[in-house]
Amino acid sequence: MVAEKSTPHLHSAVEPNPTLKRRLDALVRAAMPSLFIIICTVLLSAPFGLPGQEELQFGLAVSTVWFWAANRPRSMPAIAVFFCGLVLEIFSSGPPGAVLFWLLVTYGVASNWRYGLSQIGFVAGWLIFAALALTGSFFEWALVCLHAFALLSPVPSLFQAALTVGIYPSLSALFVWGRRTFANPDQA
Amino acid sequence: MFSIHARQVLSRAILPVLILLAVGLVLLGQVRRPVVESVRLVAADMLAPAYHALVVPQEHVIAWMTDLRGATDLARENARLRDENRGLRHWYDVAVALAAENGRLKNSLHWIPEAVPQYVTGRVTRDDGGPYSRAVLLDVGSGHQVRAGDVALDAAGLLGRVTEIGPHTVRVLLISDDASRIPVTLAVSHADAIMAGDDTVNPRLLFYPQDHHPVEGERVETRGQNEMPGGLPVGTVHYLAPGRPVVLPDADLGRLDIVRVFDYGDEGATAPDAPGRVRVKKLPDIAVPSGLHLPELLGSGAGTVPALGSGQE
Repeated sequence: MVAEKSTPHLHSAVEPNPTLKRRLDALVRAAMPSLFIIICTVLLSAPFGLPGQEELQFGLAVSTVWFWAANRPRSMPAIAVFFCGLVLEIFSSGPPGAVLFWLLVTYGVASNWRYGLSQIGFVAGWLIFAALALTGSFFEWALVCLHAFALLSPVPSLFQAALTVGIYPSLSALFVWGRRTFANPDQA
Repeated sequence: MFSIHARQVLSRAILPVLILLAVGLVLLGQVRRPVVESVRLVAADMLAPAYHALVVPQEHVIAWMTDLRGATDLARENARLRDENRGLRHWYDVAVALAAENGRLKNSLHWIPEAVPQYVTGRVTRDDGGPYSRAVLLDVGSGHQVRAGDVALDAAGLLGRVTEIGPHTVRVLLISDDASRIPVTLAVSHADAIMAGDDTVNPRLLFYPQDHHPVEGERVETRGQNEMPGGLPVGTVHYLAPGRPVVLPDADLGRLDIVRVFDYGDEGATAPDAPGRVRVKKLPDIAVPSGLHLPELLGSGAGTVPALGSGQE
């Protein structure tokens, strides 16, 4: 396992008192990735009429799970991924279970390959993520085809995968900053 | 509470268990999709007021932008509106004359007036579409009488049909959805066709007669069949490529706001049972004395029935 990049200056011999406020603060910071997925999912299910809203729901969820499972699994445990996936299933209209299943697969790959992912560079990690996003989108497409009993166009799935891969660098920049600041339980 | 070893085992086992649950949900979605859809509809019902509150600022911004755009170009906008008004006055006169003539003709033909459909107006609370579906959720309030199969229209034309019903919310499958099939009539060629959605904004025209190809620009209306009333405006024919006619919908499918759902009841044209295809009712078990002729019992035909039931001699 890879040691998480914590903030050493806060691990001094004299720890602050674990008051209720401090505990709540730490809990909220630790739950920040899950809250991010849930809030984005609910917001993107509103009728704003923006192009690609539904695809963005998938993209944001997969990107968030991949980043936090690879970098700080404590903030994104498997049960939280499952809960976020359920919320996503309720507030989306794709084939039931597909996104939930793929979020768990993404979590499994990222958390088990943490060591390897920390050794390779960002671009290589991004490529692996791209392959996962593409496979997940095609899995969704296959389920839709199976349910409709017809061969539908794979273009919407490709668009979803492209959107997911495209937003990942910006999101990971946000998460790198968040991991040090607002989503860091050690700073509570 | 648990030992370290037990905790490690639990932490390793939880992901496979959750994946198995997810697979179960996938299978449930394939086998019993309506169960999942009803859960989604209940969630949308609960969040309908929140969705409305979320889009209010966006609506205000769009209204301000429209006003601002109009204010910066008042002179040209006025000229355009004057021209449009002139054209509309002409069409108003034509419409009044045609309505009067239509009334006279209906009177002379003793035309039976059609029943006025009941309708309910709702606001789109959520776009329920995705990469492979085109649907919207409408907030129609509590105590509505909307039924599955009712017809949804916006100010310009046909949008789709109601597929699922919730306490406050109904789901409308748009005409552009891949699962949508609407029987239509072409106004000029008078040919019937099926308008099939393909997840693009322009549904395709299928199954039109080969000697009556759709004409570019002709009007497309619904054909009265089953619960679908006839004569509802749908759109116009357009050829994306030779031999590939599509419908340009009158309704603005990209930006839906206020939608009316019409209940035409059972007014749709349903053909009576064809002769020869009427289901034969099973004769009840009756006591027939041996040797008695069937015509004496049924009143027509010929033939002798030895015994139809457990009669006593």
